[in-house]
Amino acid sequence: MKKTITLGKGLSYLLMITFTLLTIIPLTWMILSAFKPHALIVRHPLSPPMSWYIENFTLAWTQGHLGIYFINSTIYSLVATFFTVLFAMSSGYALSKFHYKSSRFVSLLYTLGLLITVHSVIVPLFIMETKLGLSNTRLGVILPYIAFGLPFQVFLATTYIKGIPDAMQESAIIDGADFIQIFLRIIIPVATPIISTMFIYTFLGNWNEFILVLTLTSDLTVRSLPVGINSFAGGMSRDYGLQFAALVIGTVPMIIFYLIFKDKIAQGFAAGALKE
Amino acid sequence: MNMKRLFSIVFISLFLVPVLLFAAGTKEQAKDTGDGVTTLSVYHFLDQTDKTTAPNFQYLVDVFEKANPTIKLTFEYGYGEAFHDKLQTMAMSGQLPDIVLLYPGERTSQVTNAGLVQDLRPYLAGHENEFADMAMQGQGKNGEIWELPEDISITSIMFTNNRLLKQLGLTLPKTYEELLAQGPKIRAAGLIPISIANKDAWPMQSCVAGMLVERACGLEWFDKAIAGEARFDDAEFVYAMEIIKELTDKQMFSPGTNQLAYGQGLDDFVQEKAVYFIDGGWTVNNMIGELTAEQKEYMSLESFPDIPRQKGKSLSTSATAGQGFGMNAKLTKAESEAAWKWIWFYSGPEGSAIRQKFGRLPAYNLDEPKDADPMIQKLVAYAGKVPMGYVMDSVLAAEPIGTFNINLQNMMFGTKTPKQISQELEAMVTAIGR
Amino acid sequence: MTFLQQKRMSYYLLLAPGLLLFASIIIFPVAYSLSLSFTSFGGYGKPAFIGLENYVKILGDEVFLHSLRNNLLIVAVSVFGQIPLGFLLAFLLHRKMVRNGNFYQTMIFLPITISPVVVALLWNQIFSSSGMVVAIIRNLTDQPQYVMKIFENRQMAIYPILFVLLWMHTGTYMIIFFANLQKMTPSLLEAAQIDGASESQMLGRIILPGMVGTIATTAIFAISGSLKAFDLIYSMTGGGPAHFTEVIAIYMYINTFKYYKYGFGSAASMIIVLLAVGLILILQYISRKFERRFE
Repeated sequence: MKKTITLGKGLSYLLMITFTLLTIIPLTWMILSAFKPHALIVRHPLSPPMSWYIENFTLAWTQGHLGIYFINSTIYSLVATFFTVLFAMSSGYALSKFHYKSSRFVSLLYTLGLLITVHSVIVPLFIMETKLGLSNTRLGVILPYIAFGLPFQVFLATTYIKGIPDAMQESAIIDGADFIQIFLRIIIPVATPIISTMFIYTFLGNWNEFILVLTLTSDLTVRSLPVGINSFAGGMSRDYGLQFAALVIGTVPMIIFYLIFKDKIAQGFAAGALKE
Repeated sequence: MNMKRLFSIVFISLFLVPVLLFAAGTKEQAKDTGDGVTTLSVYHFLDQTDKTTAPNFQYLVDVFEKANPTIKLTFEYGYGEAFHDKLQTMAMSGQLPDIVLLYPGERTSQVTNAGLVQDLRPYLAGHENEFADMAMQGQGKNGEIWELPEDISITSIMFTNNRLLKQLGLTLPKTYEELLAQGPKIRAAGLIPISIANKDAWPMQSCVAGMLVERACGLEWFDKAIAGEARFDDAEFVYAMEIIKELTDKQMFSPGTNQLAYGQGLDDFVQEKAVYFIDGGWTVNNMIGELTAEQKEYMSLESFPDIPRQKGKSLSTSATAGQGFGMNAKLTKAESEAAWKWIWFYSGPEGSAIRQKFGRLPAYNLDEPKDADPMIQKLVAYAGKVPMGYVMDSVLAAEPIGTFNINLQNMMFGTKTPKQISQELEAMVTAIGR
Repeated sequence: MTFLQQKRMSYYLLLAPGLLLFASIIIFPVAYSLSLSFTSFGGYGKPAFIGLENYVKILGDEVFLHSLRNNLLIVAVSVFGQIPLGFLLAFLLHRKMVRNGNFYQTMIFLPITISPVVVALLWNQIFSSSGMVVAIIRNLTDQPQYVMKIFENRQMAIYPILFVLLWMHTGTYMIIFFANLQKMTPSLLEAAQIDGASESQMLGRIILPGMVGTIATTAIFAISGSLKAFDLIYSMTGGGPAHFTEVIAIYMYINTFKYYKYGFGSAASMIIVLLAVGLILILQYISRKFERRFE
């Protein structure tokens, strides 16, 4: 009996440590390489940097216009994520607590939306946006981001809100609240755990999105970080140092973002265990 | 009235809004602001982070804008596949910029074939002789010139490291057999015989196959093949493919060449891990900055050695007129003239002289550069002495070429035979129409 | 306004903003795409109706069939790899089988935060012929020509990608299961523990049956995500060499954006949707059976 437990423990640790190493090694290597000049990366890919060569970062930042891209990425991720989560929550509430026949159909539509690749809508979308004068504007990027975020988030919201006891809604109705009030004062507060998860997921997805922003914009002033990073990482780029620096600039903020908010999720999970 | 029905109607009509918006037309925006300045949008293929090409291009733009204060150019850049994706999207939605970078072959045919750009011949009249013949070949069905080629691009040069060659006790091979015989010795020294990185699948076709087809079949055969009088599964074409297969099987190319991203080929050559390096003339541009002054002395530009039963010319290579700017068919007369000013500046005498200094091989005839970088002088000298055949991807359509590129990889892996890939190419070219 | 009218109006009000955006940006273009899939549209001119010809051609194309096979392998790895592994990790963390669970949880989830393009670049730097691992092997074995043959094998070239996908996405499922384990009523487990049930008994008799719904849901995500997989694979290999690692989304992309066969490409993207719908229906059938059995 004791043996199986230690064996189980050993295997558990092995599994955990393997995953940890698989994550840490490439990331460490990426960050260290960003501080090495191109020639050193090519000749000694594994060696640590001899000195902290920060020219990679300054060059990547200025040449790749990463400053403005960074601001745009932040705007897109924040604004689009806020509305995705808000609309997903309101839809999720409507679809799970109103019990209309059309709910099934709408849910099905959203489920189908999960299966659509960006490429299959990109051309009609571009035509539509140019006709509306939306291409090359921030709004023209944010709207599709919201739309593409919705299917998954509506799904998450619907399943979560379904689990909220109907009694809560009913007692509020008796107290004279209308449905919008119920949504804002009961559903949203109760659903904070899932909201933080939804927020983090959507935010990450938007931060890393490339194809839509590339196609729907052309001005430097409205493009975002992935476009900048791609211009370093694209096939013929000749400077690995710059490339790694650009990758670090694009990746590290998200890692920090996650490390900050991860406790929020954990707290959310703990608080979210509904009292029944 | 029944509330339920009312809501349903409102709801359904919400669905219809996008449909209506989509169908609605748009107003054309006026471009001339009235202050005498013409603003033109330009779509260009450029890696903005490239330390060599990006500043070079900006320099050209600055010179032009200084000389033409009444023309304001606004640039959008695309790079790699993304350039073509966006161009295609713009073309399909009728939103082509005023000036756009195009390719002479099939790569941008969705723009040129659709009549979206102007024929440049009326503007060019009288200057035809100032360009290399290759650049003045018709690009459209009726001989139209859709874009004014900036460069002649030689797609197959065997860059040679003479220092390594000497160190190994070898000399530049005159024949294909000699080259093959050098293989074991080069590999024994831990070096790569021929550096080439074919992960992206086009280099083997563009930089090797085209040249070998010219050698094995000759220029006349190719003319016939395009006209439909010769076939791509003819014995001589298959023979050219067999040579690639043999080079692969005898491990002449970079190990794992089909896993190597383009760029690795040059890296290995610059770091002197390879004796030979096959790539296009455009890499000279990068070599200027990456080779040391000492290296530039012993690196030379050569042709692939002659093959047995060669029908084409000795030491010939493959070349094509390069890309260049074209202009939107929708432009007004005044706008067209302003656009032409840029096009003529860029590919004409002024811009060409500047670009030559930067290491390009302009299509515009220029004197030999005296004070240029040694690698440029070598490139100009090389271009002047070798015979040139066709580049396959400039004469065949996108789909046959795309399939053929990948089939070359298949052949190298042994999943298809030289005969098979030749037959498939012929079938596809026939299906699409020559 | 009666209560029922108010309820109906609230319903539409809550649903409208999301649905309006979703319809105009996704549903409508997809409908447009669907109609194009029956034509030979090549980017300009009037689309010519050709019926099911595109679909017939695609289903007879060897490259498509290989892509389909790769996609199904990805589905298999997600459903039978990522999900069980994610569950196992969540279970181990939930039952506090390892110390510093919080740290491991963070590390396992971390890959999600990285853009697929960056992941692809990193793994390529590690495994390509010019990468880290090959360099080490070349030094150790003194074989300067060594290359990893697995990438040049038609059947096996996809395996390294499957591995990267496993690494990237297991964290998502772990988080989902972990959250759901937290939500389970602890009293049930405590009672079982008092009755002397072992960990594996609790897992089989209490935890798993309670998780059927969650597992089915995650499987839907896994299937839909797997069938439209594009970014990572395109950045890693571009579908190559020689179509070996191609998936349907890349097949569709190449035909549309490189060969200008818009109708054909649309048909390929419709096939992705149909395939996913089919797989999800099968899945729902199975999960319903399970649910009934546990009830």
